[in-house]
Amino acid sequence: MRNWILPEHISDVLPREARQVETMRRGMLDLFGRYGYELVMPPLVEYVESLFLLDDPALNLKTFKFVDELTGRQMGLRADITPQVARIDAHILNRKGVTRLCYAGSVVNTRPDGIQSTREPRQIGAEIYGSADVAADVEIIELLFACLGMAGLDNICLDIGHIGLFHALADAAALHGEARDQAFSALQQKDVPTLHALTADLPADLAGGLRALPSLYGGAETLARARAALPQLPGVIDALDALQALATALAARQISVRFDLAEVKSSDYHTGLVFAAYTTGFANALARGGRYDRVGEKFGRARAATGFSLDVRALTRLPFPDAAPGILAPAGDDPRLIAAIRALRAQGETVVVDLGIVAGEVRVDRQLVDGKDGWLVVAFDGKA
Amino acid sequence: MITIALSKGRIFEETLPLLAAAGITPAEDPEASRKLIIGTNRDDVRLIIVRASDVPTYVEYGAADLGVAGRDVLIEHGGAGLYQPLDLEIAKCRLMVATRNGFDYDGAVRQGARLKIATKYVQQAREHFAAKGVHVDVIKLYGSMELAPLVGLADAIVDLVSTGGTLKANDLVAVEHIRDISSRLVVNQAALKLKEERIQPMLDAFAGAIGSGAIGQ
Repeated sequence: MRNWILPEHISDVLPREARQVETMRRGMLDLFGRYGYELVMPPLVEYVESLFLLDDPALNLKTFKFVDELTGRQMGLRADITPQVARIDAHILNRKGVTRLCYAGSVVNTRPDGIQSTREPRQIGAEIYGSADVAADVEIIELLFACLGMAGLDNICLDIGHIGLFHALADAAALHGEARDQAFSALQQKDVPTLHALTADLPADLAGGLRALPSLYGGAETLARARAALPQLPGVIDALDALQALATALAARQISVRFDLAEVKSSDYHTGLVFAAYTTGFANALARGGRYDRVGEKFGRARAATGFSLDVRALTRLPFPDAAPGILAPAGDDPRLIAAIRALRAQGETVVVDLGIVAGEVRVDRQLVDGKDGWLVVAFDGKA
Repeated sequence: MITIALSKGRIFEETLPLLAAAGITPAEDPEASRKLIIGTNRDDVRLIIVRASDVPTYVEYGAADLGVAGRDVLIEHGGAGLYQPLDLEIAKCRLMVATRNGFDYDGAVRQGARLKIATKYVQQAREHFAAKGVHVDVIKLYGSMELAPLVGLADAIVDLVSTGGTLKANDLVAVEHIRDISSRLVVNQAALKLKEERIQPMLDAFAGAIGSGAIGQ
């Protein structure tokens, strides 16, 4: 029997890493609070119908499902918290104005995103509902940078794209069903040869537009190239204008962006601007987000929506300082000792009562000794 | 540092002119050397030598920034998480169904009976026969596929055919063409974003060398 073996891509979070995850989680939630985001805690499980927004086959496949013994209905273990938060905004809070919500919790995936990914990410994110303005996207991205900055990252490469470009071209070309899915998937992989084959029968301007998307990436000049290469459909012009407005607003905040107009690899529910943050040393995006304005429909109320999420556990590959050393105190029932320990802990000190040799991550550099005038903190003499 | 994953043999040989177009010359010949990491004339470029079917994995997880992988390997891998912007038009061959000479393949397929198929290309074999509405039991083998129909292990094989010499030598015939195969350039997604100024010139050089105007700026 090897009954201590955990399933693949499922792991314990051990002390050093747990302290890092929890420190970052708290720091990020505090940060969200300072921007006016309200914390919500959706349930781990709910009926599958409400766990997905619109038709989302990819998310559906990632969701563990089981039968609710009380109702016989199918329930799912959440694989993404964003749809739950959208449900809360649309139906539970039912507010008219702008709502800012944030969350942090575990999600579970049936399959890992990659061999280096866990199947139990600790998702944290922030969402704004009720504002279609680009200012909302700007705030979300600013918040994302603040979160990553807090985690110690300052060289972030932010890639922005717009799903509306693909949809405008695919609609105009009347690409539906499987043909549309294949084109979407080829675009995600910048698979130009396949895209050529799939668009062979389309009108020249639309085929040219779809084939141009994979190479429309790079710096600020990308939008000008896009305006020249893509047909002047209303959806295309709107998307490029939105990207321009976002880049301009972010530049005013010293956030530089990179464009990738074929960057459509986000969740199926995204509808407009999408973005992903990359940094050196990480083969996958650290954080993803974007607009998902249509999702409220599923819950009976279409609301403009934008937000981001990231997996705090993925950030544990970053360096993190050791915990501050604490104070060793002798075990005993002396009321003055008990009072001294309580006073030190109230000041924020770590006080470890001596029960024998301390194993693990906790270190001490001082100790409590019985002086003539009460208990004193002195340098640790190394004799635990 | 830019790391390029290549497999030994035909892909390596036929990639050399493309590397040369990008100003990259390997410092050693992998056939002669046992080294798995090979330097080049450029300090910032190195090659790693891996099995052909492992190239997408190395690139997907960023162990290599670029790689050259056959379309056959990419389809089996799934391709998710990779960019594959260029058809390099090298290491060309065909993925085909082959049977023993004299086997009534059309009859076997038309009857709708279950066929036993031996192959290394499990996904593509399943998809091909599913599209025809034929039930198959797929037997995964790692090499010498041609043997399977001869010893009764399988009714047919799905395998790459280049010259057809091995089929002929074993009294097999190709009975159906599944797809033409050539090698693709695969690129790690994060690398293209983070190292664009170094990777893009290589992509442009490769694209110029194969004469197809695929990706480029």
